[in-house]
Amino acid sequence: MLRLISTIIFCLAATLGNSVAQTADTGNAGNQPTVSGADPWEGWNRKMFAINDRLDKAILIPVAKGYRAVTHKKQRKGVRNLLANARAPFTFVNDLLQGEIGRAGETLSRFAINTTIGFGGMGDPANRMGIAPHTEDFGQTLAVWGVPSGPYVFAPFFGPNTVRGIFGRGVQSVADPVFWLQSDAADLTQTVRSGVGIVSLREPLIEPLQDIEENSLDFYASFRSFYLQNRRREISNGRADFENLPDIGEFDDFDDLDELLDEADVEEPSGDEGPS
Amino acid sequence: MLLKTLKIVAVAICATTASISATLADEAAETFVSGVLVDADPILNAQSTEDLRSGLAMLVDQYVDMRRVGLFTLGQYARQMTPEQRAEYMPLFKQYATLVYQKSLSNYSGQRLEVTGSIDRSSRDIIVNSRIKDPAPGDPFANANIQWRVYRAKDGSHAIVDAGANNIWLAIEQRSQFTSVVANNGGGASGVDVLISQLRNQIGE
Repeated sequence: MLRLISTIIFCLAATLGNSVAQTADTGNAGNQPTVSGADPWEGWNRKMFAINDRLDKAILIPVAKGYRAVTHKKQRKGVRNLLANARAPFTFVNDLLQGEIGRAGETLSRFAINTTIGFGGMGDPANRMGIAPHTEDFGQTLAVWGVPSGPYVFAPFFGPNTVRGIFGRGVQSVADPVFWLQSDAADLTQTVRSGVGIVSLREPLIEPLQDIEENSLDFYASFRSFYLQNRRREISNGRADFENLPDIGEFDDFDDLDELLDEADVEEPSGDEGPS
Repeated sequence: MLLKTLKIVAVAICATTASISATLADEAAETFVSGVLVDADPILNAQSTEDLRSGLAMLVDQYVDMRRVGLFTLGQYARQMTPEQRAEYMPLFKQYATLVYQKSLSNYSGQRLEVTGSIDRSSRDIIVNSRIKDPAPGDPFANANIQWRVYRAKDGSHAIVDAGANNIWLAIEQRSQFTSVVANNGGGASGVDVLISQLRNQIGE
């Protein structure tokens, strides 16, 4: 029973945590409104999103709040550091697969420093030394290799992703040594790591996601947009690639909108003047 | 001979890179955003919600081209709405967006932003980057790149049309939700009516 619950929690966390912590894929979807190239399965995705939202509110958020209540901020930070450090080998391999030798060196340095003088990864002295953290996964590697993202997919227990991202996660799961170990200890390790990881990811997102939901007229669309924009950022390794932003066409349309703005000027003679 | 050739190539690359960097930056837009940040500083650190609300409303009036953003967030439906709908939508959008800014900024305390550079996407579409000046130890936004999308009108004046953090943009997200609401409620004019109604509910009218 406990295992079932922890598995459910893991899945929920993967759903939500992935959206912000790992975030994923690209395509024009951050900019695509509705049933379009980026989200052709919107109807199904919305149903899954609603189911997930109910499970999140019924189980994961209460657990995350309980975790917050019984731990100190520094302890939670330590747990996040520890989990991030444990992911470093995956990041390192994907750095190399993407040809990012410099970033691979950073990952390796961070892992060495934090595992030793960072008490096994609980601390992050590497960051204080100026080596900032980053994450990579196989979905990002596939993107760098030119594999198209495929449609946006939202599934309960697995969260937001794209077809490419799902494939990447599958490969990465199989590449995890713990996946191949057949023992009670290995099962326990995997369960605890997954459960703690999900709760640890969800806890700092309680308020931000609540804010987004409260402010949005369409939580699903907002969530999808933030997820896809963030994934695109991660794939580009945070580099400013404004030429490839999906909204270039829309902003070019500004000139076309001038006619509408002129009409608006006529209709709204007071109170709505912009500065330009 | 080979060394000499390599040197010439290296110098040429450096010169080209420097030239590209120079053309990418836009000093006028950076100066504009710096001025906005100076004016915004006391407002973002306002002690009361009411001060923050009124201060933000003033900033929005002065520096944000809200009509342009409002039309942008409607996507293709900007051209499909009736003049009556447009007249109703514009002030509602302005109130909604200001409310979102207010909620997003209410947790800021003591942080000051400084402009760090800019990139021209075109002569009239400029991204200006900023970051927190002298962040406190452990500040979660210490490394965040806060970005401003600046539109330069034909007369050379500037206005902010989007704000983002680490390449994640607010107006793009708003466009996603607005067009989704319209499309999922019949599209066209009837969908815009639903959007207007939902905006009204959201701002508590």
